[in-house]
Amino acid sequence: MGDNEGLGKLKNLTRTWEKDCLEPWLRQFPERRKHFHTDVGLPVARLYTPVNLSELGFDYERDLGLPGCYPFTRGIDPTMYRSKPWIIRAYSGFGDPKICNERYKRLVEWGADEISMAVDLPTQVGYDSDHIMAKGEVGKVGVAIDTLRDMETLFEDIPLNTLKRVSVLGNSFGPIALALFIALGEKQGLRPSDFVVDLQNDVLKEYVARGTYIIPIRPSVRVATDVVGYCARNAPHWYPMTFCANHINAAGAGSSKAVAFALANGLCYIEHLIEKGYGIDEIAPLFTVFCDERTDFFVAICNFRATRRVWATIMKERFKAQDPRSLALKICAYSHGGETLLEPINNIARLTLAALAYVLGGVQFLSNASYDEVLGTPTEDAAKISIRIQQILAHELGIANTVDPLGGSYFVESLTTQIENQIFQELQRVEEEGGAIAAIESGYYVSQISNGAMRRKREFDKGERPAVGVTKFRSESKIPTGAFRIDPTVEAKQVERLTAIRKERNGKAVREALEYFREVAKGDGNLVPPALEAIRAYATIGEICDVLRDEFGEYQAREYFSKKGY
Amino acid sequence: MKRKLRVLIGKVGLDGHDVGARLVARSLSDAGMEVVYTGLRQTPEQIVMAAIEESVDLIGISILSGSHMILLAEIISLLQKHEASDIPIIAGGIIPAEDIPELKEMGVREIFLPETPMTEIIEHVRTIAHGI
Repeated sequence: MGDNEGLGKLKNLTRTWEKDCLEPWLRQFPERRKHFHTDVGLPVARLYTPVNLSELGFDYERDLGLPGCYPFTRGIDPTMYRSKPWIIRAYSGFGDPKICNERYKRLVEWGADEISMAVDLPTQVGYDSDHIMAKGEVGKVGVAIDTLRDMETLFEDIPLNTLKRVSVLGNSFGPIALALFIALGEKQGLRPSDFVVDLQNDVLKEYVARGTYIIPIRPSVRVATDVVGYCARNAPHWYPMTFCANHINAAGAGSSKAVAFALANGLCYIEHLIEKGYGIDEIAPLFTVFCDERTDFFVAICNFRATRRVWATIMKERFKAQDPRSLALKICAYSHGGETLLEPINNIARLTLAALAYVLGGVQFLSNASYDEVLGTPTEDAAKISIRIQQILAHELGIANTVDPLGGSYFVESLTTQIENQIFQELQRVEEEGGAIAAIESGYYVSQISNGAMRRKREFDKGERPAVGVTKFRSESKIPTGAFRIDPTVEAKQVERLTAIRKERNGKAVREALEYFREVAKGDGNLVPPALEAIRAYATIGEICDVLRDEFGEYQAREYFSKKGY
Repeated sequence: MKRKLRVLIGKVGLDGHDVGARLVARSLSDAGMEVVYTGLRQTPEQIVMAAIEESVDLIGISILSGSHMILLAEIISLLQKHEASDIPIIAGGIIPAEDIPELKEMGVREIFLPETPMTEIIEHVRTIAHGI
């Protein structure tokens, strides 16, 4: 009753303010634009007050609750960064394992908590460095990994248990990626319980937004979920599956749709595992999400808060999860997206603000792009600055000293609720389409992504998405030079290494391990144990992936582009 | 009436980033050209054969993986081998500025870096494909 009375008073006050204060002001100082809106299509109002929250039916207890409690809007832990700052991850890799090991040692020295291995494209799609398709690509965009020997070199003098986490994407061959770390741990005298592995292992988004698929969609889901199943029973403290909104948003979808599509993909894996007999509380805590918003500071904050709420609701209501760890979704993020090629030093400011938004949104695992990444692989100096940005945010300026500092802001809470509604609507749309696999096959995901990309490009070209130094305040600036160069002899050296290991390993053990892998692939057993046997025997990633290609075929992309449009 | 311009937009090598390639393909199509988009993971050989079979007036290659020197050189030498050097080739993606003179020397007609307005790309494609 008192609340309604208060709102009534506020509405009257607002009306008076509009007449006496706002209108005369606007006559003298009209606003910069007629409409203010976000990339996710939501309008931004001039002012937010308790009236907005009341119109959205906001309820503190139901919508926010307290940190560490359902629905986890305010954060997954009761104390957040007061107890545990977020994990600073460095996504890094180039050249051959020996050169790359030097960079990794620097990253550790500068204070990175997690090394996230960037591997080259041949590795990502399961080709050895001497494969015909690998020509020109070895050691570019990431480090070349052919066998366990390369992992040993890459992590020389970096015991896995000295890092808070260690990770590789491994999107299309999760069992092999996991096996590489288990076997490397063995070489370093460590058991899986001694260290923490994190994989992306989200193959479904590869078919629409990243492109490193190997085999067709359905068997890929089995390959990916085998990793979750294995970890659930053997290494439940690992992170075997990160379903990704990041690439879907980057490709054009917009961050709310991207979360919805990523969630639909995540739910596809979960349903597959439940069908296989796993309990929801056995698997849900092993899932993390890779969120992304690169055009709007406040949307980024609210996207994270809304994503946690949506996940908690679905896990509780649809899957009847009981364990709080199943309901509290951990978020990983990568600060990048708005960087420009012209005046690249300005990107340091962009990356700092992107990282700040993610911290205010309650991120757990954060990596920063380097300011020079738009030129190519980061230089050492630029990689160091990326880590320093996060350390400054974590330890200077008091940013990490209270939980969810923007919680309760009329604007932030309104936007969080609106984004939550968008995510639920988009998720429902995908489910009407028949779920994630159907939405890939029908072209629904790709059409949504492409329409968004066209819109962004049009707005950019028209100057509606200002890029300082490029489309606004442009000065005479040269396209920068000095891109980091990968040693051109890397490919030949890596092929030499590969040839040597093929000679020195026990050929019979490799053949037997690959046969074992094939047998399991034919049936419905878990692919991690045979992948581990093969990796231990120094089978190459290409050889193991060849078995997958033999048994399941290769994915043939259907092209959605035609003169008719999408 | 003059025949519509035919353009092939290709992704060569293993690079899976196709936002730019798709945007260019769709924009050229919207601008009235006939566009063949190859999709991901084409070999230089596949690009050249497709360009010849589809009798295109121009090839546009998108590369963000840093393998542009090797792969573009291979496409150009295959075009020569198949006596199709008259098909002009342009490229776009993450390409260091220092590489541009060498690529042009090699025969790449134009290189488009990030942030290039789409109208500029369309204009260049028209000019180059018409052999002006």
